[in-house]
Amino acid sequence: MEVVDRRSALLSNYEVLTLLRELESDHLAKARTALRIKKEEEASGSPVKHHVVQEEVCENLRTIEVEAIQYLAAEHQPTGAQSDDGIVQLTKKLSAYDLAKAEKLQIVNLAPTEPVELYVIVEELEDRFGDRIDDMLQTVRSSLTKTVDAEVKTSAEASAEPAPQTYYANEDAYMDDHWEHDANEIVFDDTGEGAGIEGDLDVDDD
Amino acid sequence: MFVLSIIKDTVAVHPSHFGLPPQQAITNELNKKYANRVLHDVGLCVCVFDLAEVGEGKVRYGDGFLWYKVVLRMVVFRPFASEVILAKVKSSDEDGIRLTLGFFDDIYIPRIFLPEPSAFDPNERAYFWVADPDSITPDLLDTPLTSRMYIDAGEVVRVRVEADEFYDDEPGPPKAQEGVMVNGQSKEREGRRAPYTITCSIAEQGLGPVPWWKNAGMEAMDEEG
Repeated sequence: MEVVDRRSALLSNYEVLTLLRELESDHLAKARTALRIKKEEEASGSPVKHHVVQEEVCENLRTIEVEAIQYLAAEHQPTGAQSDDGIVQLTKKLSAYDLAKAEKLQIVNLAPTEPVELYVIVEELEDRFGDRIDDMLQTVRSSLTKTVDAEVKTSAEASAEPAPQTYYANEDAYMDDHWEHDANEIVFDDTGEGAGIEGDLDVDDD
Repeated sequence: MFVLSIIKDTVAVHPSHFGLPPQQAITNELNKKYANRVLHDVGLCVCVFDLAEVGEGKVRYGDGFLWYKVVLRMVVFRPFASEVILAKVKSSDEDGIRLTLGFFDDIYIPRIFLPEPSAFDPNERAYFWVADPDSITPDLLDTPLTSRMYIDAGEVVRVRVEADEFYDDEPGPPKAQEGVMVNGQSKEREGRRAPYTITCSIAEQGLGPVPWWKNAGMEAMDEEG
């Protein structure tokens, strides 16, 4: 192992969240297909040897994935109101100001809508920008408000997909749902052919 | 707070994974190795972002693995110094406040980075800040309750990253007297320090619990500035 570049690029919270959600939905889709194949095999009654490659689930990855999504999509984060287009526009408009890269990144990450928040992010805000502060805040605000419709749209799209997991719209419900569904869990199906065997044994005992 | 790091590594893919597309198999292998782990001086690895270069898979003498030389980009959690982030208060004690991000919770605000004047209330197990200069008393614990602004557990705070530190502790040989823990306990705690800790500050205008500054206008800033 060799680290070539510790910091080759900076990522915004929104990008990371998108990436993690992709991973998550990939994972859920895989878990679902695996389950379906299993069910189909059971239904057909033929105990076919498992030639389908089972991808093992990496616990560490799942842990950080779930926890990071929780953090990044929390209510106090602006990511819920952000969208691809909104961020692209925001960064374009911000280039008009003479901001450092780190400052721009933080404006995207934190989406400050109040002067106090901007003061913390941008060094010597008053001296550098003076009367343009309000413009800057307005720019941020416009990048957010626009996304309210977009947000609805994405969640609508998401629910239109074959797998209607409405985790964009309702994070809490999704989380609860998730905890109950453990991808590594072996599902014991008691309704199949073997059902009732235990009871039969009891009868035999009598 | 997240960065992309470029890492070079050699990955072995087990024959049972040959059914998968190689790219997928390699990514899985890398995630298994790095995800949720701290790389010294790099940060906390989240997941593989993409594979930049993958060499030809080679079988070596001795096992059936395919060995790939890989250059990859990794999503790493490593906030830079002076970055402002949002975190939740996990707990408070006499030394300072501990914060959590959910996926990472070795973030501390030491006492010196708390706003002045502030004090620790041992009854509430929380720090409070006295913003109003008129109600400051020599012993801050004598201040009227109404003038105290508490930093309670679970509250969302805006903090500035001041510094971060990495510790690379070798596990070392197992101790012979495993059973005797009276003296060993403190040592063990020392030995098991977190591999990566972040030190933050809220001693600044605009930092601290988010609700503190919710409706603070420009006037307040001007006065203080």
